[in-house]
Amino acid sequence: MELYGGLLRAGHLPVQVISMFFAPQRRAEMKRFLAFLLIASLCVPVFAAGQSEAPAAKPQEIRVLLANHPYGELIKPMIPEFEAKTGIKVNVESLQESQLTQKLTTEFATGSSTVDVFMTRPLQEGLLFIKNGWYAPLDAYDFSDYPATSVSLGQKDGKTYIVPLVTEWQVLYYRKDLLRKAGLKVPTNFTELEAAAKAMTSADVAGFGSRGKGAAAVTQISSFIYNFGGNYLDKNVAVFNTPEAVEAFRYYGKLLANYGPQGVTSMSWENLMPVFQAGKLAMWTDASVFYGQLVDPTKTQVPAADIGVAQLPAGPKGDHPFIVVSWGFGLSSKTQNKAAATQFLEWATSKDLAVKAMLANITMARDSAWTDPSVKQKMNAELAATQSHAAKNGYPFDRPFMSAVGKARDLIGEVVIEAIDSKGTSTRLQALATEKVNAVNDLLKADGEYGGK
Amino acid sequence: MKTTIGQRIIFLVVLLLILVPTIFPFLWMLLSSFKSQVDIIAWPPKFIFEVTLRNYLKVFGEQQFLRYLMNSSIVGISAVALSLLIGLPAAYSIARFGQRKLMVLILVARLMPGISFLMPWYIIFSRLGLMDSYTALILSHMLIALPVVVWVMSAYFETLPREMEESAMIDGATQQRAFVSIILPLSTPGIVTATTLSFIFSWNNFMFSQVLSMAKTRTLPIAIYNFMSYAEVDWGGVMASAVTIMTPAIILTMIFQKYVVKGLTMGAVKG
Repeated sequence: MELYGGLLRAGHLPVQVISMFFAPQRRAEMKRFLAFLLIASLCVPVFAAGQSEAPAAKPQEIRVLLANHPYGELIKPMIPEFEAKTGIKVNVESLQESQLTQKLTTEFATGSSTVDVFMTRPLQEGLLFIKNGWYAPLDAYDFSDYPATSVSLGQKDGKTYIVPLVTEWQVLYYRKDLLRKAGLKVPTNFTELEAAAKAMTSADVAGFGSRGKGAAAVTQISSFIYNFGGNYLDKNVAVFNTPEAVEAFRYYGKLLANYGPQGVTSMSWENLMPVFQAGKLAMWTDASVFYGQLVDPTKTQVPAADIGVAQLPAGPKGDHPFIVVSWGFGLSSKTQNKAAATQFLEWATSKDLAVKAMLANITMARDSAWTDPSVKQKMNAELAATQSHAAKNGYPFDRPFMSAVGKARDLIGEVVIEAIDSKGTSTRLQALATEKVNAVNDLLKADGEYGGK
Repeated sequence: MKTTIGQRIIFLVVLLLILVPTIFPFLWMLLSSFKSQVDIIAWPPKFIFEVTLRNYLKVFGEQQFLRYLMNSSIVGISAVALSLLIGLPAAYSIARFGQRKLMVLILVARLMPGISFLMPWYIIFSRLGLMDSYTALILSHMLIALPVVVWVMSAYFETLPREMEESAMIDGATQQRAFVSIILPLSTPGIVTATTLSFIFSWNNFMFSQVLSMAKTRTLPIAIYNFMSYAEVDWGGVMASAVTIMTPAIILTMIFQKYVVKGLTMGAVKG
């Protein structure tokens, strides 16, 4: 039915278009054809009207877009409970994160979205979505259980648009057995980190790994830049060409080029994790989300007892690993079912679910989830220690926080690659960084964000 | 003509040089689809390992790939069938009446980057309430299938001698009748080629399906991403679903290849 109904409804649009293609000598045929179309199109509104009257007593229905994310997997089986309790019908779709962004952008940009509630990445798309008015303001939501820095990400002009969901922070994964064999302790500063990387590098094992693939590396080098005393943006002006930041690029490049796995400039987490899991990497810095997979015996060759997790070593001028809200929940400003959508949002970000998620090793943004007794008992002590350290000292961004973040990451990525390719010694690194700083500032200016706020 | 041993060796070496780089990724994919995650990432790579069917159980159990298989089939078959229905007469008319400009116009539609169609389509289909319907997907996939049909078939029709239709028309057939009863049966190899090609293009299409399909009509290439989640890639699942997607396409090609060859040799006009 929908197959033909759609074609029929489409039918009465292009009458003029079709008639343009008829040659003059075929006027009579055309007239007959037009008459037929006219009759056909007159019939359509009757059907259409008939359709729209029916669903008056229909139960409330909402459309929810989730990411392919452990939290999405966690709540999906519980949605029937929510439906039974509230009588709201929930249509769920799960998408891989870049597809999710693309789908949301297409739907919102064309102004014909039917999405009501969706998972969203505050740092990647938050600013742009807020600026375009795609999130509905969450005036009635209780944000008291969330760290202020995480809530402020989704705020503009006193309104909050994003509920923080999952946090992650930078950690150092390391091989306890290799460290022991080298007679070393867990590195606590960058000098020790380099010494440990050198000591554990062998023909078979790389001493130190972190993302080297341009844009992907931007988030993981961020903590290094902070710890050297630099930053990407300062008051919405790009500043990653300061001597401190350039030193961080050099250090990161030197470590990866000398002690990193082969081909590191094309490696992101999806390439580095298997290397670590196969036992070919002694230390790996990346986000905390990977811990569960590293100690899962069905996924890793290294015994879980040999895998440790520690806070990122401190730098010469600071100790500020990033701790970011990687995922949040948003409400579409175009929603036709605001009450039902809000109800779902409240449920999907509730305390109960946050505790359940913590027990499934998902690190949640809610404060209360971390103090829950059952969580405290089960949580890995080393991982919990890195969280409390990052929560106290961390910096809430792992990338330049701006609308054109994707383009900015590409630009900064080129500096990272140059640093690695030259083992940190490039003489043109400073000039390259300055060139990219200017380019990022141009992006900020183009979006009207330069120097503001 | 006899081949010397030297020639045979050269032939085999060249064959190997071509085959190894093309076959190896597929072989690797096939092997990996039967491995556990630990064996997939193992270094050095394992060629002897414990075979597991877990990945396929996931593909057809948890992820309901049969449904996506159905969706892809419905969309592919309908799009190709509709394209043949419209495209065959169009190609015939282009071939017989020399409407080269129309050909170019159709080619332009194919050469334009697909993404430029997506926004307008999205707006039109959502206004018409056609999102997540097969109609929208089939219509969009016709953009892929129709130009292939028209181009392959008009070239094919041009190779058929006019005398055949003319003799049919002398016997009293209309031109339409000659087309249906004489030209189409003679064109089986061409039709099979056009059908196979356009079906495979539709089968593999990612971009249109990604934007225009939703939960209900999701097609296979989109469903592969079900195995990639945030900060985690289930390589076994990805490999198993890739094998699942490729198998029907490979089987189809193998079956129809035979027909294409047979048709080409038998359909020729002798003398």
